[in-house]
This record gives sequence, C-alpha cells and structure tokens, in this order.
Amino acid sequence: MKNKLFYIGLSFLIFVTSSCLSDHKIRLNDEVSVQASDDLPENPLLLHPITSSIQPKDSAMSTLYANDVAFDYASEHSDAHYPIGSELYEVTWKQQPDEQWFGANIPKKILQVERVSIGSDNASVYTLYSGRPLKSVNTDNHSDRIVHIVSQRMAMVP
Amino acid sequence: MKKWSVILVVLVTIFGIAQLIRPKEISNRPLSDLKNVPKDVNDVLRSSCFDCHSSETNLKWFDRITPANFLVNGHVLAGRKALDFSGWDTLTTSQQNNILSYALNKILEGEMPLPSYSFIHRDSKLSPKDINLLKQFLLSRTPRKVSDTAQLQQSNISFEQLQQNKAKHIGKQVVFAPNGIAYISDYRNWHAISSSDRFDNGTMRIIFANDIAVKAIQNKQTNPWPDDAVFAKTAWKQQVNADGSVTTGAFVQVEFMIKDSHKYAKTKGWGWARWRGNDLQPYGKDALFTAECISCHQPVENNDFVFTQPLNLHSLIAQSK
Ligand code: HEC
Ligand code: HEC
Repeated sequence: MKNKLFYIGLSFLIFVTSSCLSDHKIRLNDEVSVQASDDLPENPLLLHPITSSIQPKDSAMSTLYANDVAFDYASEHSDAHYPIGSELYEVTWKQQPDEQWFGANIPKKILQVERVSIGSDNASVYTLYSGRPLKSVNTDNHSDRIVHIVSQRMAMVP
Repeated sequence: MKKWSVILVVLVTIFGIAQLIRPKEISNRPLSDLKNVPKDVNDVLRSSCFDCHSSETNLKWFDRITPANFLVNGHVLAGRKALDFSGWDTLTTSQQNNILSYALNKILEGEMPLPSYSFIHRDSKLSPKDINLLKQFLLSRTPRKVSDTAQLQQSNISFEQLQQNKAKHIGKQVVFAPNGIAYISDYRNWHAISSSDRFDNGTMRIIFANDIAVKAIQNKQTNPWPDDAVFAKTAWKQQVNADGSVTTGAFVQVEFMIKDSHKYAKTKGWGWARWRGNDLQPYGKDALFTAECISCHQPVENNDFVFTQPLNLHSLIAQSK
C-alpha cells in the first residue's frame, strides 16, 4: 500500500516537473527544414541568403540562397551573369499565419527546391527537387525559372 | 461570540477611516469615437480599453473604495503612459496600424485588458466575436497594393546607394545605440534562421544568427540560448510587383538581440538595439527604449524572449554525402 502511494506520488511529481520543463522546450522547425532523407547535394539552408520573396496567390514564400562565389558576385553586381562555379538554390515554402503574432506569415513546410549551377562551360544547369522526401524531378521548360532565379537582386543592407 | 463582534467592529472602523485616505482623483475627459474607425470597433475599444488607455476613464463605484482605488489608479496612470488612444487623430495611418496590431496581439496573448481588471469588470472581456471584428478591421487596413512608381523609385535608390557603398567599402562610424551597444556590421554574412512576411506593416524580414547561435541550433541547446548568441532581424519594405509577387524593396532597419545573461541581466539577459535607414540612425531617445522591445517580446518569455522558431540548420546532409 505504502509502495503504491509512493509510486503514485512519484509519477505525479514527474508529471508536474515534466510539464513545467516542457514550457521551456527546444523549438526547432523541422517541418520547414531540409531532411537528411532529402536527395539534395548539400543543405542549401546553410548557404548565404541573397533575398526573399512572397507569392501571395500561392500562399508561398521563397528564399534564394547562394554559395560563396555567387554571394560575392551578387553583393556587387545585379546583371544576372553569375560566374562559373556559382550555385543558387531557390527554396520555396508554403506559408502559415504566425501563431505568436497576428499580422505575420512564416514558413510552414518546404514545397520545392530549385537549383541553378553555372558549369565550366558557363551554361546554367537547372534541377527541380520536390515531393517528400525531396527528389529531383524532370522538367521540360524551365528557362523562365532560370531567368527568374538569376535575375533577383540582392536584398542589400548598409 | 463577543470577541468576534469586537473584531468586526474594529475592522469596519479601520475600513471606514481608510476611506479618508484616497489617491489623487483620476481625471475623466470624454473622448469621441476614433476617426476612420467603424462604430462597432470603437465600441469594443471603448468598453475594454479606454478606461486605462484614454482620457475617458469611467470608474465603477467599487473601483473607488480604498484600497482598490490605489490599485486601479496605478493601472490607469501606467496604462495611459504606455498607450493613449486620446492622441489617435494626430497619428499617421501607419502609426495607427502599428498600435492596432500591437493592441490586438496583446489581447490574443491574454495580457490585455489586464486580467486582474477583467476579472472584476466582466464586461471588459472581449468575446471571440469582438476579437474577430478587430482582426478583420486590421486586415482591411493593411491590404497589399501594387507598388506605385514613387515606391519603386525609392527601392531602386535605396538599392543603388547601398550597392555603391558596398563596392567602395565606405566604412562610416555608426553611432552607438542609446544603451551603449555598438553596431555589428558583418551580420549579412551570417546564416538565416527564418523569414517572415509582416503584411501588417508592409515589410518582410530575414532573421540572421551568428555562428554561436547556429551551433546552439545544431546542438539543440536553444532554450535558453547560450551567451554570445546574436540575432539580427533585417526588415525591407515589401515591393508588390504587377504580377502580385512581392520582393524586397528599400531597407528599413536592422535590430539585434545579443545574449549575455550577466552583462544584460537587467534586460532579460539580452542586449537590444535597432538602427534605422540607410544611414543607420540609432533608435531610441535614451536607454529606456529597451522597455518597448521587452514588453512586445514578453509573450515569448518561455522561449527566452525569442519569437522565431529557427530552421533546423543541421549539416547532416553535407556530412553524409
Ligand atoms: C486596468 C487597466 C487596463 C486596461 C483595461 C487595459 N490595459 Fe493595456 N495596459 C495597462 C497597463 C498598466 C499597461 C502598461 C504596463 C504593462 O506593460 O504591463 C498596459 C499596456 C498595454 C500595451 C503595451 C504598451 C507598451 O508599450 O507597453 C498595449 C498594446 C495595451 N496595453 C493594449 C490594451 C488593449 C488593446 C486593451 C483593451 C482590450 C487594454 N490594453 C486594456 C492597463 C490596462
Ligand atoms: C510590436 C512588437 C515588437 C516590438 C516593439 C519589438 N519586437 Fe522584436 N520581434 C517582434 C516579432 C513579432 C518578432 C518575430 C519576427 C517577425 O515576425 O518579425 C520579433 C523578432 C525580433 C528579433 C529576431 C529574434 C526573435 O525574437 O525572433 C530581434 C533580434 C528583435 N525582434 C529585436 C527587437 C528589438 C531590438 C526591439 C526594440 C528596439 C524589438 N525587437 C521590439 C515584435 C516586436
């Protein structure tokens, strides 16, 4: 009997402390992040953000990421002629209203990742990754997407 | 029995005498409806907020009894200082929108009206219908409109100015924030931990984090954030293009939160600072400006005062390939 009471008491204590602790939980947004199972050559979210954009019609928002070569270029040029070795990733998320701030939308989950790399022959290679997990899919007419991606100008700061 | 009646008499007498001790009478100047605000929205604000946030303070009889009156008067004076709807008509539309959006968010967090007040003043509590009314009203005031030529020109000028400064590497000395915090100039090379679309004030933001903060994310040690973690939140105007898409326009401001649980113990463990415009004017008249930052970040106290839920920036993929 005493034992039973002890365990009931103990589980109550654990319950109480764990619910207190969960107040201070770690909140990482995995839904909106790239997963290990995604079939991407690298994690684009670790590259340099060039700019972001919103497509209200689709409730979507995107961030354009770049490797060092492309980032350095975009900091000083806005002519879309990225040098050889440039890697650009346009990551697009579905938006959701920010539960903590009425008046803001934040990313909900990744819809697609588009990659443009400038090869040694100066040609741009386009790859679209979509689905869950993200996998490269064949696309036919993507020249307008390449233009869209390389012509975004950098979000400048002083 | 007798003993109790003596105590009762003593208590009643003390209570009676206490009524002679009163705080300074709260002024009460009637306030007409806020301009360009529909009647039903005005009614909600009047019955729930005006008592503490305007010149019109209609106290109930029970608010006038000592000691309750000291508490209530304190709330009214502090409330008027924090936010006063009496000056509404003199504000610009965007200032008004900021107030409305801040007010609505304080309501949604359950911080306003003050719970101790609405517990007694039942009619000051907002119903779900009232809240929805405020939401719809705010949305109606902040539609996305295609940017006009003047706005496009402004964002082009801002862009060119900044790009030229970059190319020439003009390193101008940036003035310290009023709380003594120095400008941090290399945040544009940091990692992005999220972005937000603030349609309530027509800006879009990228939130950057320094390496220490990124390490904390990778090690899942983000609550509390470690000392020397720094966030930089950058805002640009939303440029709405003819096809409806939105891109970054003119630079608006950058804000920093610098973690140091000892140095900044008085401001919740964070150093707060904001610089505005291409010429990086420090924000705030004096060091007290941080009170503004903290009171708006208060609802996320349990998350170490950080709103943003960061992207999981693991390098797993890079390692496994
Ligand atoms: C009983 C008095 C009282 C009522 C009623 C009340 N407030 Fe407040 N409010 C205060 C006090 C006191 C403060 C400042 C102290 C603080 O930050 O807690 C404040 C602060 C605020 C702030 C933050 C301003 C700042 O910068 O700190 C907002 C926004 C606000 N109130 C909105 C509202 C709204 C909206 C309502 C009606 C739904 C409302 N309040 C009703 C007393 C009141
Ligand atoms: C009216 C409310 C409000 C005020 C005032 C405010 N903030 Fe914030 N802050 C936010 C919100 C909401 C976010 C979440 C990102 C977003 O949606 O813009 C945020 C995010 C931030 C971030 C990114 C880290 C995080 O918490 O997500 C920094 C840095 C920051 N604010 C600094 C400041 C500083 C410095 C001040 C004062 C000078 C300040 N803020 C005042 C509402 C506010």
